[in-house]
Amino acid sequence: MVDIASERAGRSLSSYWATAIVAALALAVVVAAPHFLGIYLTNVMIRALFLGVLALTVDLVWGYTGILTFGQSAFYGIGAYACALVFTHWGFGPGWFAAALVIAIVSAALVAWLVGLLSFYHGASPLYSSIMTLALPIVLVQIIFAGGTFTGSSSGLSGFPTYYWSLATWFVIAGALLVVVAAFAWLFVRGDFGRILIAIRENEDRCAYLGIPVSRIKTGLFVVCGAIGAVAGFGYAAFTDVVAPELAGFLLGTESLIWVALGGRATLIGPILGAIGIDVTSSYLSGSLPFLWKFIVGVAFVVVIILLPNGIASLVTGAWRRYKRHGKDGAAAHMHRETVTLVPAKGRGLEENLAADTSPIRIEALTCRYGSLTVLDGIEVEGRRGELLSIVGPNGAGKTTLMRCISNGSERSGGEVTIGGETIGRKSPQKIVALGVGRSFQNTSLFDSLTVGDCLRLARYRIDGARYFERSDKVALPEPALDILKATGLDRQLGLETRYLSHGMKRGLELAMVLATEPRVLLLDEPTAGLTKAERTAIGSVLTRLVEDYGLCVFLIEHDLDFVREISSRIVVLHQGKMLLDGSVEEVVSSDLVKAVYSGQETEAPA
Amino acid sequence: MATLLLDIVTTSSMLFIIAAGLMIILGVMKLINFAHGAFLTVGGYSAHVVTNAGFNAWLTIPAAAVVGFLLGIVVERVILRPLYDRPLDAILATWGLGIVIAQIITFIFGRGVQFAESPISGTTDLLSVGYSSWRLVLVVVALALGAALTALLYYTRFGLNARAVIMNENLARGLGIDSVRVRAVTFGLGAALACAAGALITPLLSIDPNMGLPWLVNSFMLVLVSGVAIPGLALASLLLGGAQVLVSTFVSPIIGGITIVVLAAVILRIRPGGLSRG
Repeated sequence: MVDIASERAGRSLSSYWATAIVAALALAVVVAAPHFLGIYLTNVMIRALFLGVLALTVDLVWGYTGILTFGQSAFYGIGAYACALVFTHWGFGPGWFAAALVIAIVSAALVAWLVGLLSFYHGASPLYSSIMTLALPIVLVQIIFAGGTFTGSSSGLSGFPTYYWSLATWFVIAGALLVVVAAFAWLFVRGDFGRILIAIRENEDRCAYLGIPVSRIKTGLFVVCGAIGAVAGFGYAAFTDVVAPELAGFLLGTESLIWVALGGRATLIGPILGAIGIDVTSSYLSGSLPFLWKFIVGVAFVVVIILLPNGIASLVTGAWRRYKRHGKDGAAAHMHRETVTLVPAKGRGLEENLAADTSPIRIEALTCRYGSLTVLDGIEVEGRRGELLSIVGPNGAGKTTLMRCISNGSERSGGEVTIGGETIGRKSPQKIVALGVGRSFQNTSLFDSLTVGDCLRLARYRIDGARYFERSDKVALPEPALDILKATGLDRQLGLETRYLSHGMKRGLELAMVLATEPRVLLLDEPTAGLTKAERTAIGSVLTRLVEDYGLCVFLIEHDLDFVREISSRIVVLHQGKMLLDGSVEEVVSSDLVKAVYSGQETEAPA
Repeated sequence: MATLLLDIVTTSSMLFIIAAGLMIILGVMKLINFAHGAFLTVGGYSAHVVTNAGFNAWLTIPAAAVVGFLLGIVVERVILRPLYDRPLDAILATWGLGIVIAQIITFIFGRGVQFAESPISGTTDLLSVGYSSWRLVLVVVALALGAALTALLYYTRFGLNARAVIMNENLARGLGIDSVRVRAVTFGLGAALACAAGALITPLLSIDPNMGLPWLVNSFMLVLVSGVAIPGLALASLLLGGAQVLVSTFVSPIIGGITIVVLAAVILRIRPGGLSRG
């Protein structure tokens, strides 16, 4: 174990070095290039390099995290105008230069934060976020128009004092900015945090139920990318000595989407090449063939979106992958070289539940209505430590709705749920996870393109955090989660993408992920659906252990009454949204009422 | 005062007419059609071609609708059908389509400004002020359009199928409704409405290759605020269109230009379902 760990550390160090060497080479090219390019091309390239930085931020926001943003140009514009306004109206010099740069970064970050607050909240549709990013540049441009002589209105500002350095110097500045941003972005998306971005893109809801603060992460990313975009815009304005409202406009925002889509989203290098390639070519062709060139870009964009959703870069990476896969068979081809080892979690962990003295969960007068339809009515349940409580009832009895009302504060219409002495109020799912509720889902909703190891690391985010620029090589898991992984053989498949797992393995992974969040109340919605008898028994014994050895309170929805009878300590029967019975296994099994409900006879429900 | 009132009513009517095509497509196909602006432009140029050829100016509207319907059917088949599983990509593809259409128009007609004849010109005396007759006609058109769309959705077989697809597409397919056909016809209809709207507003505006673009974003906002329902759209047009006219008149036309966007963003944050749904 020790030598494996040190080898891993060596590898992570070497990935730093590899990035540093590539970045140094790229910088050398940047320094040398102006000597070989003509004046016109250098000029055009400087602009393209600044736009390349903008494209990188679009790739992080849209390509990696899945937020379709039309408004990244707004930050570019904010940076450019901060430069122009300060130099025009207040002053120029090294001090003013630094002050203007700070103003650019701070105001862009502030705007991004405000937009983030408005657009990203639990339950916001992706469309709404996109619409907000669309509104941003439109509003900003109108504000610039309304600024009169201060902002130069529609003709913009020009001729303000700036550093009239040589073209070569500006080229190096723009190129160095792009290389530095790209190098950090490269390390970032390959680190722990990059996986989280992808997880948010693939299944945002599931992330929230693992305790990941999705909205905060999105807003944070938006702020950072906004600030970087502002730096690029600032550089561009200082270089050209001209700013115009178009720099902040919606058209530049959509153009940057085109660069990213054509180059290849979520590849970093694709968007850079896309931005530079398209911008430089259009500078040459816009003189001779202006309309034809735009037409070609438009057609190429549509064709690439339809036929090559991952952009032109996917042609290259696809060929590379096929070449690497050559000679390997089926499953091995989908294995990633996994650099993760599982270790037992230290510290508080699940055992803490045994010491707690408040009851883990209390539900009082819980009601849930959709319009005139009452799905749950006056539910009163208390779950005690070390208790496995099965919730049974015919389809439509409100079982899954009950789980939803416990795990998301905004679902219920009335009543209160208390977890370990704290009421859940209107809290969002990720905050309720922090209170100690773990929920598994009826359908196995995992993250398709992440590996088993990634998924487990993701589930530990709330407790262990994530590294920004590197991949942690250990995942600490509570004992029972490790047991499940061992029992299902998942511990030998850590490098496999989850979409290639069997149904039983997915169930096992799902349960292990929920346990990794160290819950005190576990909500399981049909955890054994579609499993074989053997797998079912294995899950049953894990649940029994969780309850007996770790003092968890488990709420289980199950249709298989034999299974329920075997492992439950108590059973709650729901029927048409009301609690019919709450008692021991014997009481419920021998109840005539329950038999009647299940066989569908009319009975008078007790008040 | 009377002029202000008429401004509010006619502006709202224009917004309603322009956004209707977008709403039909969003409602049935769950797709935001970014080519909507380009479709408006196509409608404007259709009107230009019709009146230039010496035909009656009233013919511009049906002609534009026919052009739009055919265009819509082709676009749906070639571009949108492969993207039904990727809704955000479909938005991007329609945006790309918008660029392509604008360039094709530039090839044919050049970048310059064109005009189309108006079916009715001059002013009418109403509420003791002389007011543009064509703007008043648009109010009538908006009312007729609202009634016609309601009738289409609630009293025809197509409307029933479309509503079924809106509510639950999988179930509708299970019941034997050809949802692919419903989508194709819907997109054709939406494009036809957009082009007709383009022809309807040309008497008030000049025609150029990007004339539809400024209307695009406001239309979205109205449709989203409407909660995708015809009465909701009428209400949204009246409220936000009215606010736009008031702000433009009393504050500044530039701030007026972003009134709809800002108000819509706020309304949607408070009520994500828009005005129609609780």
